[in-house]
Amino acid sequence: MSADLDVPTDRAATRAAPAPQQQYGTASEPREAAALAAPAAVARASDRGARIVVVGIAWAWHVAIGLPAVLGVRTEFAAPAVVLGCWGLVAVAGAAAGILLLRGTPLPPWPLAGLLLAADAAVFAAVGEQHLFGAPNWVWSTLGWFFVLMLWGRRVVGLIALLTAHTFIALVAVLAHGPGTADLARFTMYVYGTFSLQVAVFVGGTTIVGLARDRAATATAMHTMAAERAAAERGRRERRDRLALAGAAAGRVLGELADGTADPDDPEVQRRCVLAAARLRRMIAESDDVPDPLLHELRAAADLAERNGLPIDLVTIGSPPPLPVEIRRRLADPLAGHLADAQGWARLTVVSGPDEVVISLVTPDKEGPEATGPPPGEYDHGPVQHLYERDGDIRWAQTRWRK
Amino acid sequence: MGADPVAEVTGDRPVGVAIVDDHPVVVDGVRAWLASEPRLTVLATGDDPDEVLRAAPDADVVLLDLRLHGRMALDKLAELSAAGRRVVVYSEHTDPETMLAALDAGAVAFLAKHEGREHCVETVLAAASDRPYVPPALAGAMVGDPRPDRPVLSDKEREALLLWFQSMSKASVARRMRISEHTVKQYVDRARIKYTRAGRPAATKAALLARAIEDGLVRPEEIGIYRSQAMHDRPTP
Repeated sequence: MSADLDVPTDRAATRAAPAPQQQYGTASEPREAAALAAPAAVARASDRGARIVVVGIAWAWHVAIGLPAVLGVRTEFAAPAVVLGCWGLVAVAGAAAGILLLRGTPLPPWPLAGLLLAADAAVFAAVGEQHLFGAPNWVWSTLGWFFVLMLWGRRVVGLIALLTAHTFIALVAVLAHGPGTADLARFTMYVYGTFSLQVAVFVGGTTIVGLARDRAATATAMHTMAAERAAAERGRRERRDRLALAGAAAGRVLGELADGTADPDDPEVQRRCVLAAARLRRMIAESDDVPDPLLHELRAAADLAERNGLPIDLVTIGSPPPLPVEIRRRLADPLAGHLADAQGWARLTVVSGPDEVVISLVTPDKEGPEATGPPPGEYDHGPVQHLYERDGDIRWAQTRWRK
Repeated sequence: MGADPVAEVTGDRPVGVAIVDDHPVVVDGVRAWLASEPRLTVLATGDDPDEVLRAAPDADVVLLDLRLHGRMALDKLAELSAAGRRVVVYSEHTDPETMLAALDAGAVAFLAKHEGREHCVETVLAAASDRPYVPPALAGAMVGDPRPDRPVLSDKEREALLLWFQSMSKASVARRMRISEHTVKQYVDRARIKYTRAGRPAATKAALLARAIEDGLVRPEEIGIYRSQAMHDRPTP
């Protein structure tokens, strides 16, 4: 008898059969949630970085460049109070918009935009011809960044509309002062300057967030695939090892039969043939690429029973749906208990559909009470029904889960 | 092939069987199984269906190994079934998809190679008289059929198939369902007859259906509308 098939009977070990179940237990369950959560988290982090940058730029322009220029020439404005007042108004509105944007609850943009455009027009009117194109006319440089800040996360069309309105206001102001060719050239340059940078940052920010989300989704998908491949690879390796073991046992019996050292009439030789055939048949029947946890548990129980010398058939039809550990335990454990009592042979079948899993263990009915497990009867364990009966021919245990 | 390929097998002469398998050891084994049954006689064997049937054009039943020379012979099976040959497929490929595909292609029965002599003899005898025989492995495939267009089975038919697949003992199924063994067989056979409407039409399927009506297993008005069949759950007397 080969070593692998000839392990001394050990009832305690058989009863411990479902022990390996935890191995695959929870690995697959959080995977799908992670597949969705990870790209969203990466996108959020990336977007938050971009918001900080936008708020920083707007404030740097307004405070570090706009304010000193305004204060330096404040007496030279046509209406200094209007220019300074509007600066303060935009500072307050911009601060509120910036803080709420960073907190993730942006203000409604359009009333704020109206306010800013009104301030824009007032400043252009109050700044005077002398400082129309200078740094003291802070609306040129600052306002566009506040537009970006207010419209963050929305479509770029809105930003272009606001910048166009801003340009129109500026044009009216420039024309009102009876401009020369140089003024018109300067105006064109300023318009280009205010449009290009703001729109570029706005579009760039949105694109980077989208790219980050895509990249994260790709990375997650690749990780999931790699995990599945690893599981399939492990399953394949295990199967190959077991096949080698089973094949060697079968090969030895066949070899001994061929060279005459084993007698086909010898009951022990017959038993070895039956065991080797049962194991090979079970392995041929395995068709799942990624091991299902429930089938894995049942196979482990079947393998153990077989090592204790019990020829066992395990036939599976369909794939079980993902089941919570508790349900799996209630499906598999009673049968593992009955398997420990089994003598002669055993037939373990699993029929699975999306709404139902039925597992059955049939063994010959021998005289004597049950060594383990409950007496014949029907037991209800929540969504799992456990049925056990003896009819003189067979002992028949069945667990059934219904959705 | 005779003029009437689904000609009735009379009780006077033994049923002629042709065995197609590419493993001589399997051919010899099956021949030995069938030899123990006087109502059966093996007419020809070989590894090519056409050659075997040329040698035995009057064979009543063809036992066909589904995997010949490394490829699945499903198209050959469909061709033979369409021509009215009663083909019993026997194979070591017992995955449900293969079994159901064989039924769809027109096989009269599907036998798993490990199911043994008794099932083999029973299946061939039933096939010869165009009667269904559902060995446990096939019952499992039918009860677990996941296809959306599968025939609609009644609860009792499903339960009988499931328990027969699990226990391989009709006596035990009868005790469990508290019905007679005869009624268990009726439930199982009726489920099988419903499968004659799945897949492409074949002369063999029509013959199974006709015989089932003749035997009173199904009523003509039950044929075709599976919903109504599901409601008529009581087996015919």
